[in-house]
Amino acid sequence: MRSPGSVIRFSLFSAVVFFLLLICNTREAKAIKIGIVDTYSGPAAVFCKDALKGFELALKEINKEGVLGEKIEFVTRDDKFKVDLGLTMAKELVMREDVDVLVGTMSSGVAMALSQYAKTQKMPFLVWLSKSGRITGEKGHRYVFMTTENTTMVAKAAASALAGKPFKKYWIAGDDYEFGHAIGGALWSHLKKIKPDVELVGESWWKVGEPDLIPYITNIIAADPDVLISCTGGASMHNIMKAAKSTEMTKKLPLWIHGATDYLVIKPLGKEAPEGVLSTVPYLYYYPESPQNKAFVKAFEDAYGSPPSFMAFHGYNTANFIAEAFRKAGSKDKEKFIDALEGLQIETPVGKVEMRACDHQAVLPIIFGVTDVVPQYDFAISINNVILSGDDVMPSCLEIEKARNK
Amino acid sequence: MNGNAAGCDEEDKTMENAALDLGTLGANCFVGLSRTMILFIVSSGLSFILGVMRVPNIAHGSLYMIGAFAAYSIAELFGGSTVGFWIALALSPVFVGVLSLIAERVMFRRLYQREHLELILFTFALMLIFGDLVKLVWGTDYKSILAPDMLRGSVIVFGSSFPVYNIFLIVVGPLVGVGLWLFTATTKMGKITRAAAVDRDMVDAIGINVDWVFCGAFVIGCILAGLGGALVAPTVSITLGMDHTIIMEAFLIVTIGGLGNIAGAFLGSLIFGFSQAFGVYLMPQFAIVFPYIAVVIILLIKPKGLLKSAS
Amino acid sequence: MLFNTGMKFGSLAAIIAAMLLCPFILPKFYLYVLTLVLLTGLLATSLNMVIGYGGMYQFHHGVFYGVGAYTAALIMAKTDLPSWIAIIAGPFAAAFTGVVIGLFCIRLTKLYFGMLQISLGSLVWAIAFRWYGFTGGDDGLHGIPIPSFIDGPHGIYYFVLFAVMLSLFCMYFILSSIYGTTLRAIRDNPDRCASIGINVKAHQLIAIIYATFFAGVAGVLFVVLEQSVFPDLLFWVFSLEIFVMCLLGGWFTFAGPMIGAAMIIALRTCASIYTDYWTMILGIVLILIIFYLPEGLLGYALKRIRETRISADSNTEQAGVKG
Repeated sequence: MRSPGSVIRFSLFSAVVFFLLLICNTREAKAIKIGIVDTYSGPAAVFCKDALKGFELALKEINKEGVLGEKIEFVTRDDKFKVDLGLTMAKELVMREDVDVLVGTMSSGVAMALSQYAKTQKMPFLVWLSKSGRITGEKGHRYVFMTTENTTMVAKAAASALAGKPFKKYWIAGDDYEFGHAIGGALWSHLKKIKPDVELVGESWWKVGEPDLIPYITNIIAADPDVLISCTGGASMHNIMKAAKSTEMTKKLPLWIHGATDYLVIKPLGKEAPEGVLSTVPYLYYYPESPQNKAFVKAFEDAYGSPPSFMAFHGYNTANFIAEAFRKAGSKDKEKFIDALEGLQIETPVGKVEMRACDHQAVLPIIFGVTDVVPQYDFAISINNVILSGDDVMPSCLEIEKARNK
Repeated sequence: MNGNAAGCDEEDKTMENAALDLGTLGANCFVGLSRTMILFIVSSGLSFILGVMRVPNIAHGSLYMIGAFAAYSIAELFGGSTVGFWIALALSPVFVGVLSLIAERVMFRRLYQREHLELILFTFALMLIFGDLVKLVWGTDYKSILAPDMLRGSVIVFGSSFPVYNIFLIVVGPLVGVGLWLFTATTKMGKITRAAAVDRDMVDAIGINVDWVFCGAFVIGCILAGLGGALVAPTVSITLGMDHTIIMEAFLIVTIGGLGNIAGAFLGSLIFGFSQAFGVYLMPQFAIVFPYIAVVIILLIKPKGLLKSAS
Repeated sequence: MLFNTGMKFGSLAAIIAAMLLCPFILPKFYLYVLTLVLLTGLLATSLNMVIGYGGMYQFHHGVFYGVGAYTAALIMAKTDLPSWIAIIAGPFAAAFTGVVIGLFCIRLTKLYFGMLQISLGSLVWAIAFRWYGFTGGDDGLHGIPIPSFIDGPHGIYYFVLFAVMLSLFCMYFILSSIYGTTLRAIRDNPDRCASIGINVKAHQLIAIIYATFFAGVAGVLFVVLEQSVFPDLLFWVFSLEIFVMCLLGGWFTFAGPMIGAAMIIALRTCASIYTDYWTMILGIVLILIIFYLPEGLLGYALKRIRETRISADSNTEQAGVKG
């Protein structure tokens, strides 16, 4: 007679195994599947949702015609701006959902981790919001692409604009993670090259998403630099703007932040936004007023009721890059997809944009401007805008090769 | 660190730098002080519960977070910040109190006869649930409210710009402390809770329903957490994750102050707030490590905390 | 004894055989989850040495896991030392941290022990979290090269399986020895033990050393599986999650924590796919366990077996009497 003991043990064990198999869900891969890992909780979520909106808008058009006779589908996962969660989500997308392409993410920390993972899995990974230049620079490889502008490009654009101003003493502050250090470091090295007599008075690095920036700002103002370079990413954008406003910092100390003039960033502050903040962005919905831009803005407003931010712009482009690359490749094979994507040019709201083959970086223009509150809009806009073309601000292919081989 | 501007008198500049440094240090301390008050209000609640029930309320941070979010919603309901803020300040701790009352009556009180560890894990479960409840109700976007008009703007203190609202916090903190002390020292209910903290069985023996004492202590402690959240709301971005950071800090403060000791919570908050402000001044990157080091040093010397704890 | 030796060995052999065959049955994602379950189960079992068998409030066990993981990761990623050094160094670094923190905490008992451990452990977390240049700060470290003698997901699985089995045997052996019995006696009544001359503090410290050593092993295995480390491993919320695993499985049993770990990870993987509210689900599960199943799944199962046995025995007795 089989005793109850071994029966219980065995059934317990089988229950565990069964449970594991229960979440097994082998589906036939039919459509082209995109796996998106991004931040959908916390302060950065509003930006990622906008990117998704731009992505979906493009997909609506793309799926009318279809790609390789099929529709493009996508699934999303929330990384909560944390690297460990992002990595777990990516593993699940790659191993269980069997996606064809991985897309993400807002946090440069997550993007770097996912980039390493994508390399080991030979999975194409398109970065659409994180900006660290190291992703396509020294840590770049065959399987990672960036459809967004990167910190090296931004730094070069900002440095050339700042060099023209009478600032000598600089303070660099920002979020203590991949993006913050990448943009701070790149900007400083470029600035030193163009204007050797600039002086770094000090640096402060706070934890990502630090809610209370007032103590840091107090110290910075006390040190009396000519300008503050704020290397804040998605999680801290609002905090720095809020702190700047409540300490009335911009009246005494000029401030540069990448992305400050973006619609989504500045809108919540309304007419209370700090004026005179220097900013760089890759896209503004109201400038330049080209026919392509106007068409894109109208389609976006009709669909969602508000104008697009630069995140939506990136989402939109990413979808088109993917669709065109698959069409050009003629198959779902990942290696062919990568070969097709290299050097590919697509139409975007700012004109033709190329995915440079040597480093897998999209060649995007950067707009440098300053915030101003005007009566026509409910929020601060960017004025005195100067556009620097992508070719002007990107590092050369030779520099990239040197950095990767170090 | 401070650069030399070309063409200035060296000596004058050094004097100016010294005054500036002292001024900056002063400004930092001032900033630290306002943070301290929030920490104190929250930690005093935690300490109060710990003293009476012997349970570290891990959900304390979640109630702080709910206080902040509730303050946002109430303020929005009453038309934005100026009038809305004061109403929110009054109502949001009440809301948190009601929530904690429900949790206590429905679930917590059934566990009072159980293992101590199970009570602690129960509060952990509450923290998990409340965290996601906030996400469910308020969504994942950050929220923001501004200080009321009369408390907006900044003043010059020690040569640095300092928000008026933070000065308000520095005033409110001790008021809460005094209020709590008055409650435990003078009111009947307060005295009973103090007695229960020292000897629960004796209180039971003289016929007072210990269950209700626990209930009262828990709710009062949670109201304090909610109050802390409502007060901090205009100064920070109200986001998910607020619970994790504050509970860690409150735990440490309560540990160095002496478990269950309100004055200890005040002392602990001062140490914590100042060491962090000091850290921002000295080594901004490792600013948050400074309080932890202070905690370790104190605990090495006095492992049960600086002041007497409820045994 | 509930089960005779034959039954025990039989089921154990069956389980081991099934484990060895897994890479050939399971699709790669589930193999990955199973590997994670194994090493997390090891971690939970190591925690149970101190809470279940030792009765101490080890609230921040995650620190030792994290120290083991970071030590191995840093050696593998930043130095050219051979990987076996990293693998050995991890658990010893964890045990060393265990001794240091343990020496402070041992002076106190129960709640104070726990709160002090959280405080000291949080210092370690804070340093790892903010030392961007060395530990990668909030981003952690990635792309850590796995030791060359391990090859692919199958290799990783077998390595983890082997290490976990070995560690479990060691722990079982320790806990069944006289030391283990003494430890349990101390858990139940420390004053009485002290009065008959047992050095209570020494026994407790030794338990901490063992437990933290094996937590370090689990940490190293984590690095081998994920090729990354994050400061979250050192964060106290994670430590409490391990606690929950022990509770769920049954903390007065040896196999309980492993089962608890399996359930929690399976639930988390499943839930994260379909919902964003995994944390709330974990909280609800925890409340249900506290109210209805405080002995944990395995504890409850064993209790039922005992009851069935006793009633079966008394039935046969009665039958015997009648017959």
